[in-house]
Amino acid sequence: MRIIGPDELVFGVDDLNACRTFLVDYGLDEENWEDGKGGTFVALDNTAITVRARDDSSLPKPLPSGSTLRQTIYGVEDASVLDEIEAELSTDREVTRDGNGAIALVDDVDMALKFQVTRRIDLDLEAELINSPGAAPLRGVNKIGALQDAPAKPRTLSHIVYFTPDMTKHEAFYVERLKFVVTDRFTNVGPFLRPQACKDHHTLFMLATPPYMQGLEHLAFHMQGPTDLMLAGSRLVQKGYESFWGPGRHKFGSNWFWYFNCPLMTHFEYDADMDIHDDDWAPREIDVSAEASQLFLFENVEKWFPGAGPKD
Amino acid sequence: MSKSGSPVQGQKTETRQPQFVESPLCRFDDLEDGHSRGFDPLSEGRDTMFIVRQGDVLYGWRNNCPHYENARMAWKKNEFLNGDRSRIVCGAHGALFDIASGQCVLGPCLGQSLTPVPLTILDGQVFLEEPYSPGLRPRPGRHHP
Repeated sequence: MRIIGPDELVFGVDDLNACRTFLVDYGLDEENWEDGKGGTFVALDNTAITVRARDDSSLPKPLPSGSTLRQTIYGVEDASVLDEIEAELSTDREVTRDGNGAIALVDDVDMALKFQVTRRIDLDLEAELINSPGAAPLRGVNKIGALQDAPAKPRTLSHIVYFTPDMTKHEAFYVERLKFVVTDRFTNVGPFLRPQACKDHHTLFMLATPPYMQGLEHLAFHMQGPTDLMLAGSRLVQKGYESFWGPGRHKFGSNWFWYFNCPLMTHFEYDADMDIHDDDWAPREIDVSAEASQLFLFENVEKWFPGAGPKD
Repeated sequence: MSKSGSPVQGQKTETRQPQFVESPLCRFDDLEDGHSRGFDPLSEGRDTMFIVRQGDVLYGWRNNCPHYENARMAWKKNEFLNGDRSRIVCGAHGALFDIASGQCVLGPCLGQSLTPVPLTILDGQVFLEEPYSPGLRPRPGRHHP
């Protein structure tokens, strides 16, 4: 089943203007905005975050937990995939089609989903280029690596993490019905999953929680590399946003991470340099712990320079 | 104010024990009515508590959402309240708390409560009433309590 990954996430929020400011500060571009109604903000490849007022009647109904996440929209390769998903899921639930052919439904724990022919555009960009002794230079002669004003824009919506009230049922829905692949697993927490048209280590991860926690633990956008991740995160800190966890580097997935609190009332993560896998990969499994979840962890501090410059 | 608890240790000795904080957090009049503000009483580098002012009453709470250990709550510096400022909100996952009681009323820590920080107002200044424990994790290699 050729599902690519999350195309767009739709939120119902209390403070639209604060969310608008945050999403632009995070590095997304405003695609459209209407005062009092909200708007859509896009990464470089057109994957998106949409915010609406919490009481907007056009949104799927909220979860009892009060989670701000109202719909997860997946992108698929072409219209035949939508037919395939509809055929699979209309056997035991209502599946509706909109005028553009996208299909909407709820998964087995009442999370609202939509599937559409992907809105993402192909990117043709440089990776972060490094020079490493013993290897051919990647950045090359006279090319500068440290650029204070680099745009450091989110490139694409990478993954989402749900708090899920019924792990067994929820995992089975994605694996058995939508043919997601388990790449790795934290035994006591949940599985890392990727859909079949995606090689990223995970586009979906789940954390088992009580029902009153159900919702979105975080979402992440991929950055060019660790330097852009550090730069973009430092800028959020400078603007007063609350760093929650990071910067650091995860073990499963190998991705660099930096998580922030935000007025959408979920964590927005920057990630970079995630492992990719194919069907030859054998999933690993381990109990989660601080040690198991990260290679190292840092905390952002004010810039300083040893021994020079005027004293305060 | 009575001085109780451990005195502040010398600069080179890190303590994880509660410490008496002698200096005021702020002036009462510095706190905007109906708003919240974060404080870092032990100069740990991040706000480890916050105050909400409602009229003449101040509510002090640790900046620690009970759904995760050490979960900082503001979504931005000093922003601990929801859109209409009727509840404390956690910027991590949206848990809502009663401002006066600290009880979670909706979201990921339903049934749990924030940890209160007792405050005293003297001559228009706001003080911590009790010794105050560090709020951030210790640096690697340091003593863990």
